[in-house]
Amino acid sequence: MSQIRAFNAVLRRDLTVYLTYRTRLVSQVLTSLFSLTLFYYVSRLVHLSGFATPDSYFAFVVVGIAMVGVLYSCFQIPELVRQELLAGTFERLLLSPFGAVRSILAMSLFPLIFSFLIAAITLALACVLFALHLDWSTAPLSIPAMALALLAFLPFGLLFAALTVLVKQGSVGTSWVIALLSILGGLYFPVALLPHWLRDLAALQPFGSATGLLRHLLVGSPTSEPALHAILKLSLFAAILVPLALAALSAAIRAGQRSGTIIEY
Amino acid sequence: MSAATDTRQHRRAPADEDSARAPGALLQLCAITRSYAGRPVLSGLDLSLQAGTVTWVGGRNGAGKTTMLRIAAGLIEPHAGSLSALGIDPRRHRARYQRLVSFLPAGDRGLYARLSVRRHLEFCARISMLDAAESRELIEAALLTFELSELSERRVDRMSMGQRQRLRLAITMLSRPRLLLLDEPLTSLDAEGAGLLRAAVERLCSDGGAVLWCSPTGEQPDLELEQTLTLQEGVLVAA
Repeated sequence: MSQIRAFNAVLRRDLTVYLTYRTRLVSQVLTSLFSLTLFYYVSRLVHLSGFATPDSYFAFVVVGIAMVGVLYSCFQIPELVRQELLAGTFERLLLSPFGAVRSILAMSLFPLIFSFLIAAITLALACVLFALHLDWSTAPLSIPAMALALLAFLPFGLLFAALTVLVKQGSVGTSWVIALLSILGGLYFPVALLPHWLRDLAALQPFGSATGLLRHLLVGSPTSEPALHAILKLSLFAAILVPLALAALSAAIRAGQRSGTIIEY
Repeated sequence: MSAATDTRQHRRAPADEDSARAPGALLQLCAITRSYAGRPVLSGLDLSLQAGTVTWVGGRNGAGKTTMLRIAAGLIEPHAGSLSALGIDPRRHRARYQRLVSFLPAGDRGLYARLSVRRHLEFCARISMLDAAESRELIEAALLTFELSELSERRVDRMSMGQRQRLRLAITMLSRPRLLLLDEPLTSLDAEGAGLLRAAVERLCSDGGAVLWCSPTGEQPDLELEQTLTLQEGVLVAA
């Protein structure tokens, strides 16, 4: 019970801090709106064999835009750890009975949940302003699918957080990893357009499967792999990588305590 | 009698039972050695703190006082030597050790600029794994002890440095630790703030706690001191 209270405390802290910046939500919604507008007009130019109409490409890319936000939120975790190190609050988390590993895990909750909310707003804007048609018979299933996807993505953020604890740089490599995953995950265009060797590489990460599954559930896009296959793949990523990432984080903290660099920033 | 004193009577620290069983020192540092980049900072340092006492450690800037406190807090590990609080090893029983020991780092860091005083205390109570009823009681007591009640809804970035230091102290003492490690705790405090700290330290000692207070040579606290030591060339000597 006290563990849940502690997780909740971190979530509440992050929400409180977020709400003190009054224009942040407006700014994020506007960013989504601009992306939707841009891709709506780009979709009018698209004539690809995989897409029967411009609207079908727009539906494809809207889910990709929503997923980019989720991807960014995972890679926000190392930056949040860096902010704690800079503010000296990381020491407090480390010296609390709750502990640093659980604190970092709790710290990842707000950006992930919030990215979920922004993804929902993006879809709603696309429906209202650009006449996106959601498949309401399967759309509710996208909620558990998204939760599974978040679990599969989380270890990537945690591994970079471990790196941050060690080398004190929150953004080491995250921008190019996000760019690479956007390409390999087929967020803006189908992976089928990529060269063969890149398609093989794309199969090794969970973002493409998650995006494909959500596209199928939300807008009825055909999937490149059976839905059950995608669910199994995401579950395997989560089951194997979450414990590994937590162990890496714990080892990084311990290494910092041994070397004495844990208090550096 | 203040509310802070009232509420203290009702709470029993998680390791009180251990304290009753473990005779002797509340904190024990044995032959602690630590170096940075090949430069020895602590060279076989020994220190023992008894319950109900305040120990002051002075020393020049860079003598290793903060390193000693960080090791005692369980923040960093020594290269050699051992430490325990009431017989509990911080490496083996991290959470239990952290329930006993609380550390105030030097400086003005460790606060969330956009959180209020009360939100800080609520947050810290929860990550200290205190239950809801106990938290409420301790938060009110901490606000009273450091005269923060009127500032409870104020955000940290709108407070003076002295007020922030009072909040840092309130957080450090919130869960009623048995062992308090203070690194230059008078930073930014006015005479009134220093008086509140002295009273809180005396109360903690009268409850069977112990305090290790570090500050540069010449800044000895106005308290009854059990030991007055100086950190010199990596070891503690009588001041």
